[in-house]
Amino acid sequence: MRLLVIIPAYNEEKSIGDVLRSVHHHHPEMDIVVVNDGSRDQTSAVARTTGLAHVIDLPVNVGIGGAVQTGYLYAHRHGYDVAIQLDADGQHDPSNLDKIVDVIRRGEADCCVGSRFLEKTPYKSSLSRRAGIQFFTYLIQLVTGKRITDPTSGFRAVNRQVIRLFAEYYPDDYPEVEAVVLLERKGYRVKEASVLMHNRAAGKSSITPIKSLYYMFKVSLAVLMTRIRNVS
Amino acid sequence: MNIYLLAVVFCLLFLGITVELIRRQKMAERYAIIWLLLGVLMLVFSVFPSLLDRVSALLHIYYAPSFLFFIGLTFSMVIILHLTIVVTRLNRQVTRLIQELALLKAQNKEETSDDRPAHRTG
Repeated sequence: MRLLVIIPAYNEEKSIGDVLRSVHHHHPEMDIVVVNDGSRDQTSAVARTTGLAHVIDLPVNVGIGGAVQTGYLYAHRHGYDVAIQLDADGQHDPSNLDKIVDVIRRGEADCCVGSRFLEKTPYKSSLSRRAGIQFFTYLIQLVTGKRITDPTSGFRAVNRQVIRLFAEYYPDDYPEVEAVVLLERKGYRVKEASVLMHNRAAGKSSITPIKSLYYMFKVSLAVLMTRIRNVS
Repeated sequence: MNIYLLAVVFCLLFLGITVELIRRQKMAERYAIIWLLLGVLMLVFSVFPSLLDRVSALLHIYYAPSFLFFIGLTFSMVIILHLTIVVTRLNRQVTRLIQELALLKAQNKEETSDDRPAHRTG
């Protein structure tokens, strides 16, 4: 079974090296592809220097959705069986990789999302962020009937069928929630596994307070549209 | 020069500019059709001003010139909507192009400089 870890990175020179070493340390059997989304810092060079990952440089910044999709295109064309999405900022702990990958390996689901809230973990987040995530949990439950405790989590593993789907279509910005709804709508099985997440090692979250209002509206609209769209 | 003549001249000028833009390939035919349509419509109403009153009466519009505003606004909305669709499509195409280019460059680089990750053998 061939596994690929997809790491989208935008200006993450401070954390990308450690993340790559950590993934390789815990899972030397997995291939890693870093999709550098037009970073203006040394992200690409740092990633290359480790010698642990394939590095794909997008010539301009296309946004998280387009960057992640590049990883899925790579996974699809190189025939990987499982693709794992992992953030470059050190939030996702590679020592937890098996928790989400095992669900896919055992064939229990087509997509497994690493959740901060499925079980009690030491992870702390602000009240407003927690409320925002809760809102999407309810919204997804409303439109699909499925309860996903951490739909905004970008720490997830998918199988071959989902790799092919995502290579063809992947939401453009703030894609995590919409992708889950799309999978549910298409009849794929989405599961969650409890993972521990860290607070960011370096860099800033892409979601500033100004953007969060847009985020809520855009994602809600996308979820509702995915519900009424003819997906099959 | 009265206002009717001015309106006709303006419409002809508008149509002329549109045709010239298509001729110089500054505007693709598929996007120009709606502009030509608008130009012709305006020309018809300029040449036959009484037509405006009759159509307005037919639609129970009591102040005929407001029908002109309605036409102008409708066309503007349709054109802007169309442009938004075009921008969305272009955006998708450009993203895919960037992705393909990046994948190709990465593949090329690894083949030529053997820039592969050290732990991989194949």
